[in-house]
Amino acid sequence: MNLTFLFDRVMVAYVARRLALAGVMLFGLVCLTFVIANVAPSDPAALAAGPDAGHSQIEQARREYGLDKPLPEQFLRYVGDLAQGEFGRSVATGRSVGRDLARYFPATLELCLVAMSIGLLVGIPLGMLSALFKDRWLDHLTRIFAVSGIALPPFWFGLLLQLGFATWLGWLPTSGRLGVATEPPEPITGMLLLDSLLRGDPALFAESAGYIILPAVVLSLPCLASILRVNRSEMVECLRADYITAARAHGTVPWRLVAVHALKNAMLPTLAIIGLRWGWMMSSTVLVETVFDWPGTGLYAVSSAIAGDFKPVMGVTLIVGLNFMLANLVVDLLYGALDPRLRDA
Amino acid sequence: MLSRRTRLALWQLGRSFSSMLGLGLVLGIVGLALLGPWVVPYPDDVAGAVNIAGKLQAPSAAHWFGTDEVGNDILTRVIIGARLSLLVGVGITLAAAAIGVPLGVMAGTAGGVVREAVMRLTDLFLSVPGLVLAIALVAALGPGIVNAMVALVLVWWPGYVRLAEAKALSLREEPFIEAARVAGASRFRILWRHVLPNSLSPIIVKMSMDVGQAILAVASLGFLGLGARPPTPEWGAMISIARGYLPDWWWYAICPGAFIYVSVLGFNLLGDGLRDILDPRSNRG
Amino acid sequence: MNATRRGVLAGAALLAPWRAMGFEREGGRKVLVFSGNQAVPVLDPHVRYDWSTRMIQQGVYDALLKYVGDPPRIVPWLAESYDASADGLTYTFHLAANATFHNGDAVDAEAVRFSFERGLKLNAGIAWMLKDFLKPEGIVAVDARTVRFTLERPFAPFISYVPWWYIVNPKQVMANVSEGDYGKKWLTENAAGSGPFKLRRFDGNSLIHMDTHAAYWKGWPMGEANRLAGAIFRIVREAAPRRAGLQRREIDVITNMSPDDMDQLAKLPGIRNEDHPGFTTFGIKFNCQNGPTADVNLRRAIAHAMDYDALIAIHNGGARLMDSPFPPGMESHISVPGIPRKDLDKAKHYLSQSRVPNGDLELEYVHVQGLEDPRRIGLTLLDSLRPLNIRLNIVGQPWTTMVARGSKAETAPNMTSVYVTPVGTDPDTVAYQYHRESWGLYYGMSHYENPEVWRMIGEARGMVDKPARLALYAEIQRRIVADQPEIFGMIPNRTWSMRDYVKGFEFSPIRFTGEVDLYPMWIDA
Repeated sequence: MNLTFLFDRVMVAYVARRLALAGVMLFGLVCLTFVIANVAPSDPAALAAGPDAGHSQIEQARREYGLDKPLPEQFLRYVGDLAQGEFGRSVATGRSVGRDLARYFPATLELCLVAMSIGLLVGIPLGMLSALFKDRWLDHLTRIFAVSGIALPPFWFGLLLQLGFATWLGWLPTSGRLGVATEPPEPITGMLLLDSLLRGDPALFAESAGYIILPAVVLSLPCLASILRVNRSEMVECLRADYITAARAHGTVPWRLVAVHALKNAMLPTLAIIGLRWGWMMSSTVLVETVFDWPGTGLYAVSSAIAGDFKPVMGVTLIVGLNFMLANLVVDLLYGALDPRLRDA
Repeated sequence: MLSRRTRLALWQLGRSFSSMLGLGLVLGIVGLALLGPWVVPYPDDVAGAVNIAGKLQAPSAAHWFGTDEVGNDILTRVIIGARLSLLVGVGITLAAAAIGVPLGVMAGTAGGVVREAVMRLTDLFLSVPGLVLAIALVAALGPGIVNAMVALVLVWWPGYVRLAEAKALSLREEPFIEAARVAGASRFRILWRHVLPNSLSPIIVKMSMDVGQAILAVASLGFLGLGARPPTPEWGAMISIARGYLPDWWWYAICPGAFIYVSVLGFNLLGDGLRDILDPRSNRG
Repeated sequence: MNATRRGVLAGAALLAPWRAMGFEREGGRKVLVFSGNQAVPVLDPHVRYDWSTRMIQQGVYDALLKYVGDPPRIVPWLAESYDASADGLTYTFHLAANATFHNGDAVDAEAVRFSFERGLKLNAGIAWMLKDFLKPEGIVAVDARTVRFTLERPFAPFISYVPWWYIVNPKQVMANVSEGDYGKKWLTENAAGSGPFKLRRFDGNSLIHMDTHAAYWKGWPMGEANRLAGAIFRIVREAAPRRAGLQRREIDVITNMSPDDMDQLAKLPGIRNEDHPGFTTFGIKFNCQNGPTADVNLRRAIAHAMDYDALIAIHNGGARLMDSPFPPGMESHISVPGIPRKDLDKAKHYLSQSRVPNGDLELEYVHVQGLEDPRRIGLTLLDSLRPLNIRLNIVGQPWTTMVARGSKAETAPNMTSVYVTPVGTDPDTVAYQYHRESWGLYYGMSHYENPEVWRMIGEARGMVDKPARLALYAEIQRRIVADQPEIFGMIPNRTWSMRDYVKGFEFSPIRFTGEVDLYPMWIDA
């Protein structure tokens, strides 16, 4: 892959424009979340002051959190805070949302990375296999599997897996990120699998791997299904080529060649799927994290939203939106690198 | 009398096993929803009859899927829940299309500033985590099926803008549109008579897939405690409550989830089949 | 922490007896592991309290006095004794001579003065208890071991709140001030106390590890030999893993379990359930100012239609019905005769006297979003109101929205379900909810109006003569019940499940839902 084009003048301008656009979008997102947070009557100051507080304490909390200011001023302050990398404070806990995000995001990132890997590692070979057995039972099975991947409610499927693998078989833990008896190590990257490797702690690695399997599988399904379909259809195309048909008739098929060719063809659409699904995945962790009690941004957003504490929700929305945009940008750039014809388009 | 094209399409649909499976599942669910009140064993349990003494019973001949935490028959509530889910799924999809398609067609044909504005707004909504946004909105407005629908429509319409805009854009240069324009047809007429009908196939395909996804989305909100208000039976909300009774009362969660799965699967398979017929050139990614 | 305790795959151990290794160990001593669902975001004792937070605060800090036992008593702690003046205005505390902070500094009168001043000035958390009666100038360190509080006007509940005013070390706090914040930022995750435990690791969202303070000035009740090495509070949001952890002996004590779960746990060997009548009342507040529920006869009709047995059944028997606005165990509590129980004839009678004799109306019932019991109680109420031809709209809302709506009588829902935990044993804590000054607050959403009752509540809080005061509160209880500003519901039990080797558990209803006093606890195995 030739990456020198990235330093091209045209390219730099392109990236700059995309980044600027992403900035505008992020600002739009800030506006949108701010409107949502203030759309209904709500008294965050009362939450901040606690259930027993009297009028004077509630007013004190209102001043402390700047909630006594008119909404436009609150908005400007929030934007100002964001510009300094601050996400405001949660009224429910009084903690800095930025610090909370720094804590929860690695867990979500780890989960999404593992899920995406599962999607690729299972989706690609399974897609190719089902192409080889086109219209046979394996193909039908994978097709149903693929559609199921999108149709299965993740929260329900998660519960089924918990019942099956944790409660009944006892092979895997039910939920959480580590056993209750394990003291969570001080984070390095915050991603436990990586941290345990960095610390050279195989027991910790095994344990956290055990905890991540079920949620990652559930999260990977829709993505896996898309990857599977793309790879199947590309493989089917390759197998249709005249020379393959001829070779098949002779029973001397150059399988390696076909596989490499199909993989190459499938690369671009697979990449596109990764780009599309990455943001989607970050968003649907909300459900998976709730089911598996995975301490990531999704769980953080849901529990805060239900408590009526909106600064964390706004923070998570921004982080996920940012991921979405960056993923799209990176995929577009890679597209350019892989397919020079697209570069000028 | 059916046109030749329609008959061909029907024949194609009938030949595909998975499409027929999808159609069967959809018809089954729709049938249950329509017949619901007459076929369920305990119609009173839907309106919130409380029978604490009979709570959390295991499946039996009297209660095929057991009873819930206030002693209501789970099967009854799930079957009646189909009405709400279908209604909401179809409602969200229709509303999203009703907003998105006109906007998209307009953007595609008008071009210029209008297109720029519409498409940037669309991009904004497409680039936000839809579920998170819907959760925030419903949490702010308070749970309830109407609020859930509003929130989901809000995050759903941009997909239709994209689709309709792309289609309209590609049609704009087609000779027959050009001809109509030269012949002096009004802009509205061109949109109505030429652009819209020719963009319909992919939109119909998308809508049939989206009904399933909308059902799933509503159930997801219900699962997070942001769906229909009790005692209205709603699948996602049932699973959410059932979750508190795992693993000892595991059967509680099974039935509502299976119904979500089957209906979403049905609409997806059907949509898949329709795409093969109506929109064969589309990318199947 | 012991590496072998780290499950290879924790789920696999569910059925595996060879992994049942018992409690944490550290050196020759044991570590108690306690698990609940609620995080401890802010440890600062003057900024925040809730059950989990206060459990840790009670571990690392001491106060002048302490609540113990059931029924709750107030015993001397940092203060060996106190005198109250006859006019109820001056309280003088005499401090223990040997009390020291963890860093060795003496707990002196200045530390006490500083801590109360800090609590009042920050005007958050506990401030509401004393703010209207005590000004920082009213606190005087007379000498190193004597502190005098002079109240603005007599306030009978004063002593009942003192146990929640924890004493911080002024030197440590002032050494960690940033931007004139009174050490708020630092105390969020650090401690400067004199309590039985020292903070070792604070990760408020998942784990708090405390070591016992060997040289604790008050000594250890179980004897030095049995003293724990420390205690761990492990935050596990879901009930299932908490339960599994207890079964596997990875956790020694769990709380926040559903009644159904508790029933299942009771059947297991080696596990003991603690189940005690609590202090937290559940009531359904009517909007007494606006809408149909402004009509006392409609309120009475609804209160007589309610299926009270279902309230108990929902808790599998683990709850008591309220027989007064005050919980039993609170000073001056009486069982009010004629408090409504289900009686459809009476309900219909009251309905016929109301402005809506035929029913045919819809009322809104609001509960805090995500809470399961109030939702089920709403369903029960819905079913109960059917014979009156009244429909119920059950709405879960975020706490913030509920409170915002309740802040004005015009917007307050017809009915709001509310849990209230009295913070002190003094009856004023509960009675004041019904005062005009509480209108619009979380516990005052009923906007209850009865100037005579208000006058009595106001008078009682300043009374020094105890028998007269108790008599007045008896009358207040009767009058409030007669006005039916709410459906007096039930008091759920407090429950914990623990390994049977856990000793020293002391229940006190004055603590919050899951809160335990870790100080007397130890492990006998």
